[in-house]
Amino acid sequence: MSMLDIWLGILQGLRITAAVTAYGLVFAVPFALVFGVAQFLTTGLTRFLVTAVIEFWRSSAVVVLLFVFYYVLPVMGVTLSAMTVSALVLGLNSGGYASQAVRAGLQSLPAGQREAGMALGLSRPAILLLIELPQALVAMSPTFVNNLIQLVKATSLVSLVTLTDMTFRAKEISQTEYDPVAIYSALLLAFFVVCYPIALAGRWLEARVNPERGAPHGI
Amino acid sequence: MGFDFGFALSTIPIIIGAIGATLLATVLSCLGASALGFTFEMIRRGGGAPGLAVRFLIDFIRSTPVLAWLYFLYFVMPVYGIRLGAMTVGIVGLSLYYSGYLAEVFKAGIDAIPKGQQEAARALSLTRRDTVIFVIAPQMLRNIAAPLGNYVVSILKATPYLAILAVPEMLGRAFDIASETYRYAEPLTVAGVLFLALALIVSYGVKRMEKLLLASGRR
Amino acid sequence: MLDRRAPATSTLQSVPLVRIDALNKWFGALHVLKNIDLTLRPGARVVVCGPSGSGKSTLIRCINGLERFQKGTIEVEGSSLGRSDRDAAMARRLTGMVFQSFNLFPHLTVLANCTLALRRVLLKSAHEAEEIAMRHLTAVHIPEKARAYPAELSGGQQQRAAIARALCLDPRIMLFDEPTSALDPEMIKEVLDVMIALAKTGVTMVCVTHEMGFAREVADEIVFMDQGRIVEHTSSTDFFDRAAHPRARLFLDTILSH
Repeated sequence: MSMLDIWLGILQGLRITAAVTAYGLVFAVPFALVFGVAQFLTTGLTRFLVTAVIEFWRSSAVVVLLFVFYYVLPVMGVTLSAMTVSALVLGLNSGGYASQAVRAGLQSLPAGQREAGMALGLSRPAILLLIELPQALVAMSPTFVNNLIQLVKATSLVSLVTLTDMTFRAKEISQTEYDPVAIYSALLLAFFVVCYPIALAGRWLEARVNPERGAPHGI
Repeated sequence: MGFDFGFALSTIPIIIGAIGATLLATVLSCLGASALGFTFEMIRRGGGAPGLAVRFLIDFIRSTPVLAWLYFLYFVMPVYGIRLGAMTVGIVGLSLYYSGYLAEVFKAGIDAIPKGQQEAARALSLTRRDTVIFVIAPQMLRNIAAPLGNYVVSILKATPYLAILAVPEMLGRAFDIASETYRYAEPLTVAGVLFLALALIVSYGVKRMEKLLLASGRR
Repeated sequence: MLDRRAPATSTLQSVPLVRIDALNKWFGALHVLKNIDLTLRPGARVVVCGPSGSGKSTLIRCINGLERFQKGTIEVEGSSLGRSDRDAAMARRLTGMVFQSFNLFPHLTVLANCTLALRRVLLKSAHEAEEIAMRHLTAVHIPEKARAYPAELSGGQQQRAAIARALCLDPRIMLFDEPTSALDPEMIKEVLDVMIALAKTGVTMVCVTHEMGFAREVADEIVFMDQGRIVEHTSSTDFFDRAAHPRARLFLDTILSH
């Protein structure tokens, strides 16, 4: 098998990698928005409960979490496809991180923004939707790009629950072909080709959003 | 076949028995990643061809998943006659992977030190090495305490990846029990809860240490 | 025509400590120092003044190698301070620098700020370094703050600590870059008093400052800069009584009127 064959063989898994990422975002985006805003707005017991849910998804080790859901849900009588379980776990883990960016973005807005909205007679939901969230999300957009890269990279885990993503393809090829140097270099390269452009986009975004903050962090 | 709580309880002591390996991998990976990350940042700051090479290496590391790196090291090193134990490979892999992130943390920590500090050190004829050791590093440490603490927790949460290389840390031990008893849900749930508890405890401890560190200098 | 009368108090027999010849410096396209010629004899007390942006700070930062320059020469004690790092290191050994923003090391006590270079550069023992540092801290009237951290000191105390730190290395020349500009008015005097006392010890001083009262009392030479040039270099009595250059007159009128 030539280097090119190996490379193309691994890229066959790109479809699954992309599908898990996209499906994961379906869980991540609403979770980040709803829980980030909820943590910002609530107080007392409600806030504690919201924080507890976020912390469960954010502070758990994602490797362990994936296995737990993959093996425990069937025992509880819930049968979901490997794809759905993976998207759920990776998505909510990623959403947990992103929710903190949403909250931090809202908290860092000057109080004058809300006060100006109130002075104009806007309702609290209107202020949130029209004034606070747009600014917070734009300011935090570079962080969301980083979260996305972490999600793409985390999809490599689905190879452990039988999905044929790029990592799984690399392992498959290595069973018929003894050339670990070529196979695993190609795997690293495949992820680099996917993630690096996203990172560059993130840097561009960072330079636009925070022009005063010198060197961008990226990735 | 439901969830057997009695069985789950019985696995707790066995899985906790592997906490030593988890903590050892965490501590050594943190040290390795810090040393490597600091070295990378120093080379990057030096500029020239080595600086450019390291800049690219850091981007590459940050664009590729830790799982792919672990496979790469585990399968590729023996091709070149380097035979290390799974634990060592895992620690090297985590160190390498997180060095890409810590280099960025060190960069931000150094950039935050006012330019006058370097100038004052130069005016006092301190050598470049002495300036780093006595002036830059101590102030950088204070600037990076918070993000560094976060990465300690991240590295802890990445140690269950080593189970994939058959390192007998907590997740690995849970899988051992599962393959002996053909019951996955209980040991994996226990591992999940233990990792979450450990992450929350370490995260709390890290925050306490951060406060102590910041209080000690009376800036 | 530039007026470059020799300063009245300078004596011919003394060998120059610093000789600057046709110094030119650019920041990118910006020409910040234009053909600077300046000679400092040992024991000179020079005040450099002029409007902001005139190149005063850049000039003294060139003398100890904090800034590189593109054309001309600077000689400190006869050794040429060209463009190499070794020359800059040499110049820094001979000069002490006091910054506008103090630049004390915030993670070290005042004493440790003073002893750091004594121990690492001059390789003194801990005991000897502390002795030297305490002597200078006493001279600037803050021996009781030796164990305090910079953040626990007032601005005036911090600047005096910075002066003590620079003096510890026993420099031949003390450079001051607007040492009182970052201070609240009530603290300016305590720093100037320390500098006046220092001047009486005979150390060579070059001070960039807007404090004309200090200049009148302490300086024996005044260098007036404007737009990157030295437009007037004269004895301080001459400068205050009959500044020749119209720009210097204008500067004096503005600064002395408030």
